[in-house]
Amino acid sequence: MIKRSDKSGQVTIFIIIAVVIVVVGLLAFFVYPRIQTETGFDSENPSVFIQNCMEKEIENNVETISLQGGSLEPEFYYMYDNSKIEYLCYTNKDYLTCVVQQPMLKQHIESEIKNSIVNSEKLCFEKLMQNYIEQGENPQIIDGMTYVKLLPNKIEVTFDKILTLAKEGSQRYENFKVVVDNNLYELVGIVNSIVEWETVYGDADTSSYMTYYPNLKVEKKKQDDGTTVYILTERDSENKFQFASRSMAWPSGYGVTNA
Amino acid sequence: MRKKFLMLLFGILLFGSFVFLIQTVSATVCAEKTLSGAWCQDVEMYEVDTEHRYSQTSCDATSYCKLGTCINNEEGTCTGNTAQKTCEQNNGFWKAGKPVDIPQCQKGCCLMGDQASFVTQTRCKMFASLYSVTVDFRTNLGNEFMCLSSITSDVKGACVFGESEEFGRTCNFVTQKECLDSEGEFHTGILCSAESLNTVCGPSDQTTCIPGKDEVYFVDTCGNIANVYDSSRRNDPTYWTSVVSVENSCGYGSSNADSKTCGNCDYFSGSTCKAYKRGQDVSPSLGDNICRNLDCKYEGKTYSHGETWCATDTKNNDLPGSQHYVLKCYNNEVTVEPCAVKRAEVCIQESVEDFTSASCRTNMWQDCTSIDNEKDCLNDEQRYCEWVKDYEWNTYPAEKDSGVCVPKYAPGFDFWNAESEAESICGLATVTCEVKYEKGLLDGWDVVANEECLPGSSGHKEWLNKMENVCSAIGDCGSSLNYIKQKGYNELNVTKV
Repeated sequence: MIKRSDKSGQVTIFIIIAVVIVVVGLLAFFVYPRIQTETGFDSENPSVFIQNCMEKEIENNVETISLQGGSLEPEFYYMYDNSKIEYLCYTNKDYLTCVVQQPMLKQHIESEIKNSIVNSEKLCFEKLMQNYIEQGENPQIIDGMTYVKLLPNKIEVTFDKILTLAKEGSQRYENFKVVVDNNLYELVGIVNSIVEWETVYGDADTSSYMTYYPNLKVEKKKQDDGTTVYILTERDSENKFQFASRSMAWPSGYGVTNA
Repeated sequence: MRKKFLMLLFGILLFGSFVFLIQTVSATVCAEKTLSGAWCQDVEMYEVDTEHRYSQTSCDATSYCKLGTCINNEEGTCTGNTAQKTCEQNNGFWKAGKPVDIPQCQKGCCLMGDQASFVTQTRCKMFASLYSVTVDFRTNLGNEFMCLSSITSDVKGACVFGESEEFGRTCNFVTQKECLDSEGEFHTGILCSAESLNTVCGPSDQTTCIPGKDEVYFVDTCGNIANVYDSSRRNDPTYWTSVVSVENSCGYGSSNADSKTCGNCDYFSGSTCKAYKRGQDVSPSLGDNICRNLDCKYEGKTYSHGETWCATDTKNNDLPGSQHYVLKCYNNEVTVEPCAVKRAEVCIQESVEDFTSASCRTNMWQDCTSIDNEKDCLNDEQRYCEWVKDYEWNTYPAEKDSGVCVPKYAPGFDFWNAESEAESICGLATVTCEVKYEKGLLDGWDVVANEECLPGSSGHKEWLNKMENVCSAIGDCGSSLNYIKQKGYNELNVTKV
């Protein structure tokens, strides 16, 4: 009898241990990433903190900017599927080719990305300072310029700041870089080429782009008022860039308005 | 007298103010910026953003909206049709004239190893620093196609490194420059798996896809690229010894799509290297990659990769509201491209050996009704029209051998608008048919001419169809259903007078 009782006790203990292991495993799986984000601060490597803090925000803003023709808040746009899409080339006249509205698109996008991250930049560097203060440091930061660069296959954001720590000797960190994988640079090159066609012929042949660039899908959606919405999609990443153009519009049927 | 003079003066002033007001309100102004945010547009005064420059003239005649070329010195690009301000506000450099007339905007072929791009010399130099490659800028390759066709790969070969106790004789398959930089022993055109090199690398069943290349390649045991995947030569030592060109590899000249044994894919022929997907691809005999078939299936029909074809909302004719579309098959996916609305553009397609090519083209219907002979009417290079025999505008019956020219693709217009010219446009096809009766000898009246115009008479249906066809050919006129099969408001009436 005693032996049997021991055995059932052992089984119970094993069951409890198993349940505890499963619960701990589940907790680790669901909660650990958050714990790590909150507390995973490596005082030796502040750049990694800034990268983690800003990466998502930059990605989201880049996506919004790309879907809106290169602007975070389009000023002159066409409403397509409830989205504002900036005109990169436009004429209000029929039978005429368009006037380029954004000739320096790459620089414009870089400036838009820069402006879109001002708040999160401030927030992330404040968090960084706070982390150092919590570790007993006395961090000092010298502000500098922010540079955004669209580069092949990536977007590079550089915060030209100098961080100094004085607790254990003087430590100095500068040029905080955040790199986001993205093919916006390549897409902008193709957008410029389409705009060039629009200025010369009032139209662009999407087939030739899809023939030359196997990983690219180019869609052209003509609208009632003569506007054309172009949608460029990178097939592997599903990254998109949308923009509008109105060029060489033909009045509908017998219409003679705007002629 | 004085009172009369004052009244006249007042009248003149009033008239003058009125004329000035009319001019101010209706004259077109060149706005540097409009209230909606557009740059350099000819608009009405009320649309002008008065914080920017504007003047009562066409933009072509202004200095501030004169169009020229915006040169981006940083990127080496030139953008035409650009106003000076939009260029300079983003640090661009503006020059009058078109890009083709500006020396620094001349394009050439920028060759960068196994890549090429048709760009300006400045941009080519920028690529050199951006990608850290050596570039070769050639001005003798006059267009993009010639440029891309001239790509030649840098010669690669086995780069062997001296024997180490731990790893043995190792090898990398790289270019000569890369090998010399890493102080290896370079063997041009030889694979790392070559037995003669006596390296640790040997043949394997593994395959891979290389970015920028179409083919499936064998990979040796060290992970180096070998020749194009050909399962029949897996155990052939010569195939693992030296580089075999794509042209001399299996199945060259065809797409080899879905081939289990050959990885010589070709994007232009309709295949490209992709990781094998169960359920989508045929399982390869070796490795995990296959020449993915890029053809498309659409409404039960298979279309080749790169094929484009036409579709319309309505099967038979251009009904009110209907539109033409181009459908495109690329990369296993069909995309739909609408042509301009109201048939301002129509889709035209042609086929060569079952391969269809289609595009939206401007509907050239405008002068159809003014053409009076069949030959000119059917000249497809000048216009898209059709000839209707035995028909005359507004005259019935038509003279024998007469005919009229009507649009082949009926243009649409805003017939629902009160201000539209629907009545006058459609009125072109109005026909008055006079039916002649003669008093019979005994009693009653006998029809002696144009009986077909009478409802219920023999031949009435054909007559009505012909009239209706002409009517609907000149635009959204006549009695027809619209593209979603809804009836119009006005039915065709034939009234007996």
